[in-house]
Amino acid sequence: MLRRTLALAAVIVTALLLQSTVFSQIKLLGVRPELLYVVTISMAILEGPNEGAIVGFAGGMAQDFLLDQPKGITALTLTLLGYTVGLARQYIVSPSPLLPTILVAVGTFCGVIFYEIVSFLLGQIDDPLLYLLRVAFLSALYSAVLTPLVYPILRRIFERSRPRRVVRF
Amino acid sequence: MVVVLVSISLAVITLDYREGEDGPLAGLGRIALATMAPLQEAVTTATRPIGDFFSGLVHLPSLERENEQLRRQNEELRAASAAGADKESQIQQLSDLLGLKESLTPSSVPAVVIGNGLSNFRYTITINRGSSDGVERDQPVVTGSAQAPILVGRVVAVTPFSAEVQLIIDRNSVVAGRLSVSHETGQIQGQGDQDLRMTLVTPGTSVSGDETVVTQGYEVSGQQGLYPPGLVIGEVSRVIQDADGLQEFVTVRPAVDFSTLEFVLVLQTSRSEG
Repeated sequence: MLRRTLALAAVIVTALLLQSTVFSQIKLLGVRPELLYVVTISMAILEGPNEGAIVGFAGGMAQDFLLDQPKGITALTLTLLGYTVGLARQYIVSPSPLLPTILVAVGTFCGVIFYEIVSFLLGQIDDPLLYLLRVAFLSALYSAVLTPLVYPILRRIFERSRPRRVVRF
Repeated sequence: MVVVLVSISLAVITLDYREGEDGPLAGLGRIALATMAPLQEAVTTATRPIGDFFSGLVHLPSLERENEQLRRQNEELRAASAAGADKESQIQQLSDLLGLKESLTPSSVPAVVIGNGLSNFRYTITINRGSSDGVERDQPVVTGSAQAPILVGRVVAVTPFSAEVQLIIDRNSVVAGRLSVSHETGQIQGQGDQDLRMTLVTPGTSVSGDETVVTQGYEVSGQQGLYPPGLVIGEVSRVIQDADGLQEFVTVRPAVDFSTLEFVLVLQTSRSEG
């Protein structure tokens, strides 16, 4: 359990650091990637709704505080996103290897839109609608591209540290 | 579980919204920011060459630019070891800044850019100088050489060892500007990735293309003359007339490429002087 918590903290800090340094320079048509969205959704797919919500909450709070953004909005978005994706995952029976990528893309799009709406209602952003849609779409695309890189890494880390389930017949 | 987490998030949003800049949450944020800065600095130092390379490859608006960039890369590779060339350009930039530092009347603090803001809605950079070096909120940040200091933005948040700078392309940034040839004045507002928009005070004046725009040292909407006059902002790229002819806009292309900014100077103007 402790190992998992530490691994999770390390993953979140790494994602934040990468996002604010390397990836802030590698923009896709002017839009930065949302690494924490990818991490949250991947974890939700791998571990289910509760873990998804926790990862989303921790990652979102970390992002809001560490990077001096309006506080709480990312946390709220990612908590709900992690939970929803985790829940939805249980009802999807598809062996397709593309499934994580698709879920991440759709999830990021909805998440970013949600974030934009909340920020707008709180008067934190004031951009034209078209720009907001563009950001959501491109973020989703970017996330989808990053998934094949991020998802396998997370799966490896967390499958190894998962407490073994003992099955007795 | 989820309900608890969501409630906490909502509570934090509300608290932060009501407290604004001076509440305990903002203080917590600054502490977190301060702990993050050295890590960011380390990662940036280690990965800047990689990032530069990929940014060159990834955000290509046109084939022409790609062509030019690849050619330049090719030249660099041929010329000498890439590291040597990089050091040389850094020295050049630093000595430019040194010259600039000597020529500017208010004292200034040189700083290295250690991180870019990561939100798609706010345009900020993090620099490696903070309140322990005399950096204060609202101080202007410039770059460039002694001949032509270029405006970058202003300090919006300070921790002991790092500071957050709002770039002039941020949508919340408003700067008083002046056209260098026609001497028209106006407000210059950030437009994100697009060119800056300058609203002229007196519409109907003839503005020629590629006029230089510099800062004007008077106050605009509550910002009490933050910027010293005469800092270069950019060049006029387009003149747009409103449909009813009541307002005239000028778009201004910033003189700085904000995505490749490495070194900046923080001008030590105190707010009471301004």
